[in-house]
Amino acid sequence: MSILVIAEHDNGSLKAATLNTVTAAQKIGGDIHVLVAGHNAAAAAQAAAQIAGVAKVLLADAAHLGHQLAENVTPVVVELARGYSHVLAPATTHGKNLLPRVAALLDVAQISDVIAVESADTFVRPIYAGNVIATVQSSDAIKLMTVRTTAFDAAATGGSATVESIGAGSDAGKSSFVSQELTKSSRPELGAAKIIVSGGRALASSEQFHGVLEPLADKLGAAIGASRAAVDAGYAPNDYQVGQTGKIVAPQLYLAVGISGAIQHLAGMKDSKVIVAINKDEEAPIFQVADYGLVADLFTAVPELIAELNK
Amino acid sequence: MKILVAVKRVVDYNVKVRCKTDGSDVDVANVKMSMNPFDEIAVEEAVRLKEAGKASEIVVASLGVKQCEETLRTALAMGADRAIHVETDTELQPLAVAKLLKALADKEQPQLVILGKQAIDDDANQTGQMLAALMNAPQGTFASKVELAGDKVNVTREIDGGLETVSLSLPAIVTTDLRLNEPRYVKLPNIMAAKKKPLDKTTPAELGVDAAPRLKTLKVAEPPVRKAGIKVASVAELVAKLKNEAKVI
Amino acid sequence: MSYRAPVADIRFVLNELAGLNEVGALPGYEDVNPELADAILEEAAKLAENVIAPLNKVGDQHGNKLSDGIVTTAPGFKSAYQQFSENGWVSLRTPTEFGGQGMPALIAMATEEMWCAANVAFSLCPLLTLGAFEALEHHASDELKATYLPKMASGEWTGTMNLTEPQAGSDLAQVRAKAVPVGDGTYKISGQKIFITWGEHDMVENIVHLVLARLPDAPAGVKGISLFVVPKYLVNADGSLGERNDVSCVSLEHKLGIHASPTCVMSYGDKGGAIGYLVGEAHRGLGYMFTMMNQARLGVGIEGMAIAERAYQQAVAYAKDRVQSRELGSDNPAPAAIIKHADIRRMLMTMKSQIEAQRALTYYAGAALDRAARHPDAAEKQKWQAVVNFLIPIVKGWNTEQVNEITSLGVQIHGGMGFIEETGAAQHLRDARITAIYEGTTGIQAMDLVGRKTASEQGRTARALLAEVEAVAAQLKTQGLAEVGDALDAALVHARASTDFVVGQFEAQPKAVAAGSVPFLKLMGIVLGGWQLGRAALVAKQKLADGDADSAFLEAKLITARFFAVHLLPQVGGLSAAILHGADTVLALPEEAF
Ligand SMILES: Cc1cc2nc3c(=O)[nH]c(=O)nc-3n(C[C@H](O)[C@H](O)[C@H](O)COP(=O)(O)OP(=O)(O)OC[C@H]3O[C@@H](n4cnc5c(N)ncnc54)[C@H](O)[C@@H]3O)c2cc1C
Ligand SMILES: Cc1cc2nc3c(=O)[nH]c(=O)nc-3n(C[C@H](O)[C@H](O)[C@H](O)COP(=O)(O)OP(=O)(O)OC[C@H]3O[C@@H](n4cnc5c(N)ncnc54)[C@H](O)[C@@H]3O)c2cc1C
Repeated sequence: MSILVIAEHDNGSLKAATLNTVTAAQKIGGDIHVLVAGHNAAAAAQAAAQIAGVAKVLLADAAHLGHQLAENVTPVVVELARGYSHVLAPATTHGKNLLPRVAALLDVAQISDVIAVESADTFVRPIYAGNVIATVQSSDAIKLMTVRTTAFDAAATGGSATVESIGAGSDAGKSSFVSQELTKSSRPELGAAKIIVSGGRALASSEQFHGVLEPLADKLGAAIGASRAAVDAGYAPNDYQVGQTGKIVAPQLYLAVGISGAIQHLAGMKDSKVIVAINKDEEAPIFQVADYGLVADLFTAVPELIAELNK
Repeated sequence: MKILVAVKRVVDYNVKVRCKTDGSDVDVANVKMSMNPFDEIAVEEAVRLKEAGKASEIVVASLGVKQCEETLRTALAMGADRAIHVETDTELQPLAVAKLLKALADKEQPQLVILGKQAIDDDANQTGQMLAALMNAPQGTFASKVELAGDKVNVTREIDGGLETVSLSLPAIVTTDLRLNEPRYVKLPNIMAAKKKPLDKTTPAELGVDAAPRLKTLKVAEPPVRKAGIKVASVAELVAKLKNEAKVI
Repeated sequence: MSYRAPVADIRFVLNELAGLNEVGALPGYEDVNPELADAILEEAAKLAENVIAPLNKVGDQHGNKLSDGIVTTAPGFKSAYQQFSENGWVSLRTPTEFGGQGMPALIAMATEEMWCAANVAFSLCPLLTLGAFEALEHHASDELKATYLPKMASGEWTGTMNLTEPQAGSDLAQVRAKAVPVGDGTYKISGQKIFITWGEHDMVENIVHLVLARLPDAPAGVKGISLFVVPKYLVNADGSLGERNDVSCVSLEHKLGIHASPTCVMSYGDKGGAIGYLVGEAHRGLGYMFTMMNQARLGVGIEGMAIAERAYQQAVAYAKDRVQSRELGSDNPAPAAIIKHADIRRMLMTMKSQIEAQRALTYYAGAALDRAARHPDAAEKQKWQAVVNFLIPIVKGWNTEQVNEITSLGVQIHGGMGFIEETGAAQHLRDARITAIYEGTTGIQAMDLVGRKTASEQGRTARALLAEVEAVAAQLKTQGLAEVGDALDAALVHARASTDFVVGQFEAQPKAVAAGSVPFLKLMGIVLGGWQLGRAALVAKQKLADGDADSAFLEAKLITARFFAVHLLPQVGGLSAAILHGADTVLALPEEAF
């Protein structure tokens, strides 16, 4: 068996998602090759060559691959894919854009968002927004899949694979890149945020509420929420309130800072994936729902936390 | 210009699905079904293009069981002109759907095909890309803005970390993201009018497509419930856990 | 707490109990079928859930503001109303010739349930427009119809009903507002009207007031009242808006509930007289009002049932969420969700079973209304008209009396949180309270029921309906549902005795019958509600036997019917005792002793 991993990169550097995808490939087992398709992408290819466990890096380098348009990358992958048992891409917007196009031309199914590998032909993936986990088996000769990167550790580096240049095809002439706009670093909205830092009455003033929590939120790219007590006391605006009578949120990570964990507050955040509580009272009810609890004074713990994240 | 829009009938987004006790499949008997929300956005976008005088006809297609007709009627009530129902009781996977849509596109010759970026049941996010490949057409996936300009369409795409705009020559495929538009509420007279709009029926066999599934679902399960938490001793331990165990930062 | 329209249950009632298919077979309703109804219900549900329901709390907290005669509605109401009217919902049941959709009352009522449950204060605005529309449609000149009806059907203009005056409430014979002929065919209207719902507001450009007033030569009492159209802005010949009429809102009431619905004191003729146009003939206004009263009263019955549904949904959610005390008889020592406790279950079932009974009876009455209006056969038409007439005071009175109990149970299930306004359970209780008062209090409905609807026709319709109940009871017993069948039989004995009493004594001792009139109304509500749940159980049983996949829904129907049979139907015995033997003690205490 040999496995082709499609690298996530921006020509100049390799994206971490590639490392998680290589780990998924290792779970399947077999020779692992990485395709870097881009323009002036030697640096990315070099980085890929250093992933432990990668046998070979294939570099398709041409101007028309510069923006990695699916129309132009697809023929390159299709050409290569016939020599592999598996083709993997990270389930990023790039991987999701590209791989189904390849699958259709190969006349094979694609498996999306794989979170576990059961065997060479059997994989696990979430459906219904993660409310159901399905185990699926593929009977296609070549198995194409996108990999949920958070489900696999990053592969180690320290390898030294060879980099081989391959044919880059030609411009399909159907699409062209116009422009790109990267997201400004302003804080996300509470309802949509992946991470929420939420503060309670313990913050004790509006200045401290913002002064202590904002740097942490900025560090994490998080939205800021509040308990009703904090809102009622005027430390935070109304629309920050999380809870039964405030907003209902379910982020990946909810950090409750100086919040006791009243049932009305829990009603608004108990479906969060991971809950962290920082509270100086070890009996605080918030600890009953927190995945990770830290008994500490928030005024020392939060700055420490920022420092640790900066490391 | 003709636009083809594909709409899927799925379990309503408010329903929390459960697995059958034998774990063979999800239990969707008698749960509320609705049009896939991303497809609603696709229909809305097509209707807006038509209202802006940029499109002349909107054809909606749905593939699957008899009740897909209801979904098509909803699309007609939103403003599509006619509907095609490819009726089948077999489970349709993205590749089969793409092939069936390709067969329809061969007949209809649309300049633009708009689909949802994913269906909220199988969360596959494949059909549009596959259809684009089969039609040998360019694709603008995860669109948050669609602008027709002569024989091209400019699509702004929501990509990890920001937005990317691409220019595609027509015919092209667009898949919708949530911020593309906010679908309208249907006007009551349009519900009545939708009953009178044409709805044609066909089957995979008539279209000459083998729609058999390629992937087999061995089992389904609900994700494990939250386990009791732990107390960490220090900030450093907390960060380590969040990074390595929970993997949320 | 968000609202989810109970589309599955509504669909079941329309298709299986109320007879949507039969209504679809009536002339003029050729397009009406379960699929069309479904499409309408789904869309109405979306709008109700996503646009109108979220404004319920906002409206409650914000209310309306009056300044310089201008009433500003709560934030979000104006745009929601625009969306509602632009999407055609005002005119679902109005005739196509005036731009409506011409749908039967049955389907319209199902959507009205959703608007009311989503936000009853909001729903009153289109409801009153519809009432005014109907009065004009049936009685106004073609010219008035052409001027007003299309704009009202489209929702661009709203309508009001101006009946009540400070001294004239239940007793409209005391109306004093004056109308003086100008000589050019128009009239100058003056006087004060109170409690006028949506009498003034900022959601639309014009408001069409229907006003009861007396002409100078009018005889005293009910026979001297005429009906007038008085627009807020006069309408020019080309349909454009002209001068502001001499009518204004001078005060807003502070109320227990429905805060978002402006309840206005309207003053007519402060500057010499508001221009009004006579509807139909002089002195016949009250009769005209009664034309729309039937639908309006059914409409208020729907309000009661709908608010109950909303309160029930909120109570269920809380009962599943709130953890308190361990479950009796369980090995698990940990505290459990309160829905595990028997008394919470009892309360939820009491809510649920009555709501389902009311929904079925209300829509049955709605279908009867459609049949009475359109049935090609004169005898059938007459029969169904009698059924509607009989059911209206029951649907209005029973639904709205019970919603007080049901919303109160909703509060109770929430414990202390129920008493706290932020929770939202209390709003339902407050909002519901008006429904048993306006459009005729329960006392007035009950008098209507025992008098005009029962005694004056020798109990014909009452007995015919009770015979249908008996037939269903018999079927239930053959279908393995004897618990329900027997309970209905037992209740029938009391219902018949009470009917005989009402019919037999109404002339001889009217006051004694009146003393038991509200118990009689409730008795009829319970028996006929039980009848509908019995019918539902028969349908469910059959479908289960046929292997229908929705077994959880159908099993619930069986259990709900059984609960009602055992917990609600026996109340009929007590009510009957009060009707037959209770008048005496009602009236015995001398007035001075109070
Ligand atoms: C009808 C109703 C509705 C409600 N709705 C909501 C709602 O929607 N949302 C909501 O949040 N609440 C709601 N509440 C209020 C709720 O019951 C609690 O009062 C509120 O959540 C408490 O907020 P808190 O945790 O910030 O404050 P507290 O309960 O006062 O907790 C402060 C916590 O901070 C800790 N602390 C203090 N100093 C420090 C320090 N230096 N370092 C670390 N920890 C420290 C304390 O140990 C304590 O646990 C509602 C209440 C009612 C009655
Ligand atoms: C919020 C609100 C909105 C309203 N909207 C409108 C509106 O849009 N247009 C409009 O015209 N009016 C409206 N009304 C008025 C409403 O219809 C009257 O309040 C209602 O008809 C009762 O009249 P009343 O208040 O004068 O009570 P009364 O008639 O004084 O009744 C007092 C009590 O006496 C009882 N009673 C009266 N007569 C009898 C009898 N013969 N036998 C037994 N009992 C009797 C009643 O049942 C009641 O319990 C509204 C009222 C409110 C509070």
